[in-house]
Amino acid sequence: MPNVLRADGITVKFGGVTAVNNVSLSLGSGEILGLIGPNGAGKTTLFNAVTGFAPVHSGRITLLDKDITALPAFKRTRLGFGRTFQTERPFEELTVLENVLIAAFLTAGRRSEAERLAMNVLEQVGLADRAHQPALDLNLARRRRLELAKALAVRPKVIFLDEIMAGLNPPALREMIAFVRTLSTQGLAVLMVEHIMEAIIELSDHVIVLASGEKIAEGTPQQVTSDERVIEAYLGTD
Amino acid sequence: MTKHFLGLGVLLAVGIVYPAIFPNYLTIAISVLLFAGWATSWDLLGGWNGQVSLGHASFVGLGAYFVAIGQSRFGLAPWWTMAMAAAFAAALGYFWGWLTFSLRGPYFSLSTIAVAEILRLVAINEEWLTGGATGVFIATLPEPFGIDLFSRVAQFYMALAFAAVVVATVIVISRARFGYQLRAVREDEDSAMAAGIDPTTTKLKAFMLSAALTSIGGGIYGIVLAFIEPHVIFALLLSVQIALTAIIGGRGTIWGPAVGALVLIGAGEMFRTTFAEANMLIYGILILVVVLFVPRGIVGELARRRIRRLYAKRAQG
Ligand SMILES: Nc1ncnc2c1ncn2[C@@H]1O[C@H](COP(=O)(O)OP(=O)(O)OP(=O)(O)O)[C@@H](O)[C@H]1O
Ligand SMILES: [Mg+2]
Repeated sequence: MPNVLRADGITVKFGGVTAVNNVSLSLGSGEILGLIGPNGAGKTTLFNAVTGFAPVHSGRITLLDKDITALPAFKRTRLGFGRTFQTERPFEELTVLENVLIAAFLTAGRRSEAERLAMNVLEQVGLADRAHQPALDLNLARRRRLELAKALAVRPKVIFLDEIMAGLNPPALREMIAFVRTLSTQGLAVLMVEHIMEAIIELSDHVIVLASGEKIAEGTPQQVTSDERVIEAYLGTD
Repeated sequence: MTKHFLGLGVLLAVGIVYPAIFPNYLTIAISVLLFAGWATSWDLLGGWNGQVSLGHASFVGLGAYFVAIGQSRFGLAPWWTMAMAAAFAAALGYFWGWLTFSLRGPYFSLSTIAVAEILRLVAINEEWLTGGATGVFIATLPEPFGIDLFSRVAQFYMALAFAAVVVATVIVISRARFGYQLRAVREDEDSAMAAGIDPTTTKLKAFMLSAALTSIGGGIYGIVLAFIEPHVIFALLLSVQIALTAIIGGRGTIWGPAVGALVLIGAGEMFRTTFAEANMLIYGILILVVVLFVPRGIVGELARRRIRRLYAKRAQG
């Protein structure tokens, strides 16, 4: 499978602390890459580094063979990245529709066109009936779906999902898993951080395990879940 | 949007007949209109984009000085000098934004105070051009189509046109892509970047547009005053008044700043006759009331309540 996204030897430092140390990953279209690891392992930081929200100390990131390492986050979005934030970050003063509209305006020039795209995405994530509600008023499950809708509305080639399943009740979780599956069948490359192993095992083509900023294992879900270092890393922190 | 344009149309119609009905209340109406236009321009940056400026007197002053100096020294008609002032104000906004937009929150606001201070000092020191501390005087003005620009009626209509154009601009922007970019950056810069928006460029554009529009009103103000003194026009008080007008009326709302102008200028005028420093007192009291009871401003609070009611109803039915 041709690579859509490649990250080679990514290192992120905050002051003297190395949050991510020499981690590489690659991802093809329609592929789902799961990123797991104990709390504080550096998963979100790796996401941020690849999407341009954290400074990369060393390493190289390419999107469709174009070097994007030096580009600011908004330019990476324009080239095909969509992302959610682990703690949802809606534009609180605006309505649900307006939130998604802002992202839709990236590819849609006219308002009518942007509105159509935004409504379309809201229908996909099941928020169409909330379109005119202030984003501030949504409950957790709906805030997650809004976060997802915003990421999708930029029409990304690669989508970064940071723990969008955390805290969902079982039916909502099943829905979300099915939804991520449809995204990949539509050809989107998916990179997801998740603590819920059910989702990781069911969805991931490939899994990378981080602990203390290092990649300690990778492979199929079955390979990594039976890996001793992985079990140790998880038990070690509990 | 059509609703807002309809409202604007009605107000324009009222404005057009106003001088015939209240010929003795033109000066205060001009004040209200100029402040409505300035505060609405300010709000593009301060309300819609969340970057509070305490230096908008700079752009008022630029407009006034360009018109006055252009007329008195170079014989340039106000419409040319207003266009030049707008371009210069936009350039200054760009430069100042480029210099300071990396400063977050209150530090940007504080830095804007310096702009008017610098301009005031330039105006005082460059006497050859600006007349120094004494100021400039507009002795003659062209008479387009035989209209006497020194007459209060003509000035009223200029102020009316200015306020209407600015409000119309905001109505259009509020629905457009740019308007959403402004709000996205105000709400959350990271989230805006995740939507492909460049926060710095967005803020620069907002600053440039806000400054340019303000300076056009400043040009009209120059004609109204006919005599421009640096310490009056580049005053922190004027900058603060413009900001407060928008904040009290409702930041980031289409009509808030205009309502603020009506309330502040109206109230200030009513009390001025009985108590000379009443303006300052009124501002003080209004700031307190707004901060304590209506933090979103008058129109902001009304809009909020309307949405709440709508949802309460929908939740029941
Ligand atoms: N902006 C920052 N400044 C300093 N340190 C940071 C910053 N962001 C993250 N860190 C540190 O980097 C390490 C990795 O954090 P990160 O949020 O990436 O972990 P994570 O794997 O996403 O954890 P979780 O599962 O809890 O979300 C932590 O020790 C964290 O304190
Ligand atoms: Mg995290």
